[in-house]
Amino acid sequence: MLRYSYLFSQLVRRELRQKYKGSVLGVLWYFINPLVIMALYGVMLGPLLHAVSIPDYPIFILAGLLVWLFFSQSLLAASGSLVEQSSLVSRVRFPREAVPAAVVAVQLVPFFAMLLMLLPVSLIIRGNASPALLELVPLVVLLFLFTLGLSLLVAVLHAYYRDVQPVLNAALMPLFFISGVLFQIEKLPGLHSHHWAEPLLRWGNPIAPFISSVRTVVFYCRTPDTPTLLYVAVAAVLSAAFGIALFRRMEGELAVVL
Amino acid sequence: MTRVLAPGEVVLEEAWRSFPARTDRAKTLKEAVTSLIGSRPPELPPTRALAGVTLHIDPGETVGVVGRNGAGKTSTLRVLAGIIPLHTGFAGCGGRVATLIELGAGFGREFTGRENMRLNGALNGMRREEIDERIDEMIAFSELGHFIDAPIKTYSSGMLVRLGFSVAAHLDADVLLIDEVLAVGDEAFQRKCLRRIAAHIERGSTVVLVSHAPATIEHACRRTVVLDGGQVVYDGPTAAGLRFYHRLMGLESATTDGLLGESAVLQEVRLEDGHRRPRQVFGSGERFRVVMTLQPIAPAGQVELLVEVRPAAGGVVFRTSRELTVGTERRLVSFDVASLGLLGGDYDLAVGVRQPGEDAPPLFDRVLSFSVAPVAGAEGVVDLRGSWMLEADQIEVGPVESGSEVRR
Repeated sequence: MLRYSYLFSQLVRRELRQKYKGSVLGVLWYFINPLVIMALYGVMLGPLLHAVSIPDYPIFILAGLLVWLFFSQSLLAASGSLVEQSSLVSRVRFPREAVPAAVVAVQLVPFFAMLLMLLPVSLIIRGNASPALLELVPLVVLLFLFTLGLSLLVAVLHAYYRDVQPVLNAALMPLFFISGVLFQIEKLPGLHSHHWAEPLLRWGNPIAPFISSVRTVVFYCRTPDTPTLLYVAVAAVLSAAFGIALFRRMEGELAVVL
Repeated sequence: MTRVLAPGEVVLEEAWRSFPARTDRAKTLKEAVTSLIGSRPPELPPTRALAGVTLHIDPGETVGVVGRNGAGKTSTLRVLAGIIPLHTGFAGCGGRVATLIELGAGFGREFTGRENMRLNGALNGMRREEIDERIDEMIAFSELGHFIDAPIKTYSSGMLVRLGFSVAAHLDADVLLIDEVLAVGDEAFQRKCLRRIAAHIERGSTVVLVSHAPATIEHACRRTVVLDGGQVVYDGPTAAGLRFYHRLMGLESATTDGLLGESAVLQEVRLEDGHRRPRQVFGSGERFRVVMTLQPIAPAGQVELLVEVRPAAGGVVFRTSRELTVGTERRLVSFDVASLGLLGGDYDLAVGVRQPGEDAPPLFDRVLSFSVAPVAGAEGVVDLRGSWMLEADQIEVGPVESGSEVRR
């Protein structure tokens, strides 16, 4: 496996180059997309609709959007990755996990770029730096593992069933709205009358605890509560283990189905 | 089944593999669901690519694989490379394996030749340090010059082969699996590649070469495997293997009215001495005859016969051709050498038929081996029949044995 670490770095470089080659704004696109989303929802839900009354709402949105974009963009890009690289897969023997893994690793670049931009702004405006910030390190590792596992899964499934990507595309939009990027799930006013809905939204959607815990650290500068942290850790390990296991099982025929 | 193979050892045992007949399968969820419920559309029987192939290749052997289209050549190679799993049986290569299958594996079109070399090396399991160490050598070998830093979308197919082969040639693999790619390069580069393969062989690498071009196999491989219908139908020395292959192809072309565009095939080739006796060892200066039986297929027409003599060390000492009109009858054609001007050693005699005016490099249908008995006092390949003189004194010292018979 170690022998192929150079291959992995080459694949990442290649992805990065291909993604932004020939675009004038280049890396700036990393920021423009999330900023547009932030501005749109920030203005719509805040001053216009008065639907949300969270202080520093734009920063609140960005803190969750960061996680959401990493997750959703990774899955989308990974699902098509093996098909796009079919010429590699069908002609050379190498650890094929490297292809979707490289795609996910590439998504770390906009993730960290946004995080580096957001953190100082958040600290200055919110003015509450604390050692809890250090918890970002394990949280990001767990988020990466979680996303990697699901990415391996959708990548290999899409190679066999080509409608995985469209299904994913359709599913991600509603998932965005129930994942608590735009609000805190536990504070949704409509949930008071439905007692079953809150735990379902909080725990039934595995990306929601990742979003809320990262936001708790970045936006509120607090340590997330223990159940959430436990959930995040278990989800990451399970996702990675299952993704790798399924990928290994299904990769054999990849060169035939691609 | 796990087993330990020596570096360079290649093994296929009772290898079976078939493919779904519809390669455009791309099964959708809808199909998957409907097939679960029932009412499955009638499926074509799967194509058998390998039907019980058994092959043992020792470290350091060079094996050519030939066969008609769909005979299982490429599948064999892909199975050996581990790209495609077997259904039953065992396939394995010992040590490090390098594959060169089709053009441009791993080539990102936007990337420069140099970047692609790195990526391609990495795909084949090279470490960063190894690539750093060898990249200059690879670039020099590819002869791409300043194009190495141009994006490969500007490359011709011949340049892509150069790039691909340059990487494969520097992998220091124990097993080198090569499919067809060499055919695209120009002849000079092909020869360079073959030399490089020969160097690999000398270092003890195993080479498995799939090719449609018998000439390539003939140059590089001592052993040839002929596949047909997913089975090994011949496994043995190359000369006889190619003969077998041509018979296989000949049968086909005979029934399809000269599919290959040839109007005749060689049926038998033998070497005779002055007394019309078949021989394999000749003396220098002896009479030497090549007798061929030419079987016309398709309507009669012009054919060109080629005869080539090659020393065992490689290269060509002599090539000649002759156009002739063939009728509908089988006929004997001979190439008669009154005095064989070769020195002692082993030689190959290659004979081929082609259409007159064909530009393609000649394809040889038969390769026969023969030897020339050692000649005292001369080394090399050709007997120039010279004589020594001491000119200054104007005294003839008399001919010194130079390989030809000493005349008084």
